[in-house]
Amino acid sequence: MRRILLAVLAALPLMGAADDTFAIRAATVHPVSGPKLENATLLVVNGTIAEIGNAKLAVPKGTRVIDGKGLHVYPGIIDSSTQVGLSEISSVRETSDVSELGDFKPQLRAAVAINPSSEHIPVIRANGTTTALAVPGGGLIAGQASMMHLDGWTWEDMTVRRDAAMVLNFPTLSASGDRSFADARRNYDQQIRNLSAYLESARRYQKAKAAPVPDFRIDLALDAMLPVLEGKVPLLVGAERERAVRDAIAWADREKLKIVLFNVRRPGKAMTEIKSRNIPVILGPTQELPLEEDDPYDEAFTVPLEFHKAGVKFAFGTFGNQFARNLPYQAATAVAFGLPYEEALKAITINPAEIFGISAITGSVEKGKWADLILTDGDPLEVKTQVKRMFIKGKEVDLDSRHTRLYKKYMARP
Amino acid sequence: MKTRRLLVALALLAAPLAAEPPSAVAIRNARIITVSGATLDRGSVVLRNGLIESVGASTSIPADAWVVEGEGLTVYPGLIDALSTVGLNTPTPTIQTTGRRGGGPPTGDPAPAGPVSRGPEDRPLNTSYLLAADQITLADRRIESYRNMGFTSAVSFPTRGIFAGQGAVINLSGQRPSAMVIDPSAGLYLTMRPNGFGGGFPNSLMGVIAYIRQIYLDAGQYKEAKAIYAAHPAGNKRPEYDKTLEGVLAATRILLPAQNPKEIHRMLRFATELKQKALLYGLQEGFLATDVLKARNAAVLLNLRWPERARDGDPEAVESMRALEFRDKAPTTAAALAKAGVPFAFYLGGLERASEINAAIRKAMAAGLTEADAIKALTLSAARLFGVDDRLGSIEPGKIANLVVTKGPLFEDRTEMKYVFVDGVKYEPAPAPAAPASEATR
Repeated sequence: MRRILLAVLAALPLMGAADDTFAIRAATVHPVSGPKLENATLLVVNGTIAEIGNAKLAVPKGTRVIDGKGLHVYPGIIDSSTQVGLSEISSVRETSDVSELGDFKPQLRAAVAINPSSEHIPVIRANGTTTALAVPGGGLIAGQASMMHLDGWTWEDMTVRRDAAMVLNFPTLSASGDRSFADARRNYDQQIRNLSAYLESARRYQKAKAAPVPDFRIDLALDAMLPVLEGKVPLLVGAERERAVRDAIAWADREKLKIVLFNVRRPGKAMTEIKSRNIPVILGPTQELPLEEDDPYDEAFTVPLEFHKAGVKFAFGTFGNQFARNLPYQAATAVAFGLPYEEALKAITINPAEIFGISAITGSVEKGKWADLILTDGDPLEVKTQVKRMFIKGKEVDLDSRHTRLYKKYMARP
Repeated sequence: MKTRRLLVALALLAAPLAAEPPSAVAIRNARIITVSGATLDRGSVVLRNGLIESVGASTSIPADAWVVEGEGLTVYPGLIDALSTVGLNTPTPTIQTTGRRGGGPPTGDPAPAGPVSRGPEDRPLNTSYLLAADQITLADRRIESYRNMGFTSAVSFPTRGIFAGQGAVINLSGQRPSAMVIDPSAGLYLTMRPNGFGGGFPNSLMGVIAYIRQIYLDAGQYKEAKAIYAAHPAGNKRPEYDKTLEGVLAATRILLPAQNPKEIHRMLRFATELKQKALLYGLQEGFLATDVLKARNAAVLLNLRWPERARDGDPEAVESMRALEFRDKAPTTAAALAKAGVPFAFYLGGLERASEINAAIRKAMAAGLTEADAIKALTLSAARLFGVDDRLGSIEPGKIANLVVTKGPLFEDRTEMKYVFVDGVKYEPAPAPAAPASEATR
C-alpha cells in the first residue's frame, strides 16, 4: 500500500510536466481558418494542436480530458497594437518604457523592455486576448514592435516574434496652432529627407557588410535595418488620413519597402492605392468619436467595412493598455455597422498572424499550430460571453485579474 | 489771483495759436453729414481755434477765415476707433476677447515677467494704474496712417494683463503727446486671459473670474478704509497703499471681453455683480444675443475684424460648419444690434489698411447695416459710449474740429480723402491710399 502511494507521488511531477497536453471533448471548435466543428475533440500535445476530430477521435491513454460540453473553442485573440508591458501608468515616468530619445533607433527591441508582471496583462487577457503587439513610440524610426504572448515568467517566455515589425512614425504634415502651412511643409520635407538619408546609409551599410570592407564595424542601429531592407520585416507606418496615407505609400514605393499601414482612420481615395499594392492595414480604434465635428457619427464604426469592401487585409489594434481588453468589442462594433462577422473575427486572429509573419504557429485552430486557445460559453465578440478558460502554448492561464480581485473584494464588503 | 488764472488760460491758448497761423477755416458749399442732425446737401462749416464755430446751409463765412472750396466734396465728422492701441508703443492690437480653449493664454502676448503669483494678494497681471494718456508716443506711425484714412480720434488702451490699464480718448495729431489727450479716463480695460505656463495664479478662466471678483471686494474695502482713515488718522492703523486698487477705483467704466452668447451673458451678469458701468467688446457672435443685450441695456464695442480663413492654413483642411457659419454671420451682428436698438461702436481690431477697413464695413452694410448707422458707429456712438459726445462725434457748433472731407462716399476704395481736420488743423492725405506706414515699423 505504502509502496503504491510512493509510486503515485513519484509519478506526480511527471504528470505535472505534461500539463500542456490535454484534450477538449464535446466542444464546438471555431478554427477561423475553416468551418466550425460541432461536438469536436481537440487534442493538444506538448502545447501544440496535435489533432482535431469528431467525438470518436481517440486520445492517448492518461491524457487529461476537459469536458467542453456547451463550450466553444476559438483561437486566442491577437491585438495588433498595444503598449503592453512597456507602460504601466503612462503619467508615472518610472513605469513607462515606451520611447527612447532620438529620431532613428531601429535597434531598440520592445520585447526586452516588457514587464511580465504588468497588472495590465491579466486584465487584457480577460476577454480572450492571448497575444499582443507591443509597439514602441517616439522619434521617426521608433524601434522594433514585438509580438508577445500574454503569459510568461520572463520576456523570453512571452516573445512570439521579437521583430514583428519596424515602427516608423511617418512625419505628419499639419499646420496646427500658430504654425503656417508653408512652415509645416518645410519641416515635413526636411524630415522626409532625413528619413531617406538614413535609409541610404542603411543601404550603404548593407553593401559594405556583404562585400567585406577592411574597416567594417558592426553598427547595431544600421544592422537592425537589414531585415527591413531585405523585406523580411515590414515597416509599420502610421498614417491617419488620406494625404498621409498617400504620402506614405508614395514614399514606400520610392524606397521599395514593404509596409504595413497603421492607425488609418480616413483613407479616402487613397484606398485604391492601398489595395493596388496589397498593403495590410492596422485599423485605429473603432469605438471613437469622428475626427472632425461635422463628420458622421459612425465614421469610426464603418471604416472597417470600407476596407473589407475594397478587399484590403486588415487587423484591429487598441492603441493602448487600459482598454486593450475591449478589442473583441471593437471588432463587434464594426460588425454592427456592416462588417461581415467572419471578417471581424479574422481581423483579431488570423489576419494579424499573417500580417506579422506568425501564421505558421498561431492565429487559428489548426493542426500543428500552438494551442493558443480560449474556451468560452459563446461568441467572444458578444459582451455577455464569458471566457471560461485560456491556454497559451497549451498551458492554462489564470483568468484572475485586478478587476476580478476588486470585484470579489467589494462584493464581499459587509 | 484773477490775473494769474487769466495768464494761465492765455498761455494754454497761446501754444496752438502759435503753431497754426490761420486759426479760422471755412469749408464752403459742401455736402455735410452732421450725424447728430439732418444732412446738409449744401452748406458750410466754420472752424476756429480748433473748434467748430458754426455749421449750416446759410452760415456766413467770417472775413478772416481761410476758405476751402467744398464744391463736390462731403464733410463727415472725424472717425473714431473705439478700441485701439494706436499712439501706444505696443504691437498691433490683435485684441483677443478670450484666451485659448482650455484656458491657456493666447500666444504672442506673454505674461509680464515677474515672480510667480500665488493668489489674488499678489495682484498678478494687474496694471490698472497704467494710464494710456501717459504712455502716448508720437513715434507710432499708425497715428499718421490712421489719420490719413479719416480716423481723427481713437480710444487707446493698454492691453496686457487682466487689469490692463486705463484708456484715453486721443486725437490723432499733435505736437506733443499731452496735446493729443481728450479724456485720460476712458475706462479700465480687462481681459479674461489667465497667466501663462509658470506664471502662477490665475491659471484658468475660473481663477481669473474669482480674481477679478476679489479685486473688486478688496477695492470696496480699501475705499472705506481710506475714508475712515482720512477722517480719523489718529488711533487708526493706516490702510496700506495699493496702486492696483487705486487704478480700479479710478476707473470710470470697465471694458469686458465677450465674443459669443455664453460670454455675453456671463459678462453682463458679472458687470452687474461688480456694480460697474461696463462696455462689452468683441461681440462678433452678438447676432445670437441681441435680446439679452437689449434687455440689459448693454452698450458694446464691435470688432470690425471679421473672422477669416487662415491665410496660410492647410489647403486640404476641412473647416467645421461652426467656423463657416461664424465667418458668414459675424458681419450681420452690426445690423442686428442696430435693429435691436443696442448702442454700439466699431473698433478696427488691428485692421490697418484702408481697403481692409472699407471691405469690413461694406460687409456689415451688405448684411443690412445702413450707411448712416455705419457712420454713426464710427463717430457719434463711439463718442457717446465713452462720454465724450459733448466734444466729439458729430458736426455741431462747440465740438472739437475733427472732420473728414472726401470726394465721394466713405468706405469706398476709390473715394479720395481730400482733407482731414484734427483740432482744426488741416491735413491733406497723400492722394493714393498708401500702404500703412506701420508695416515697416513693426
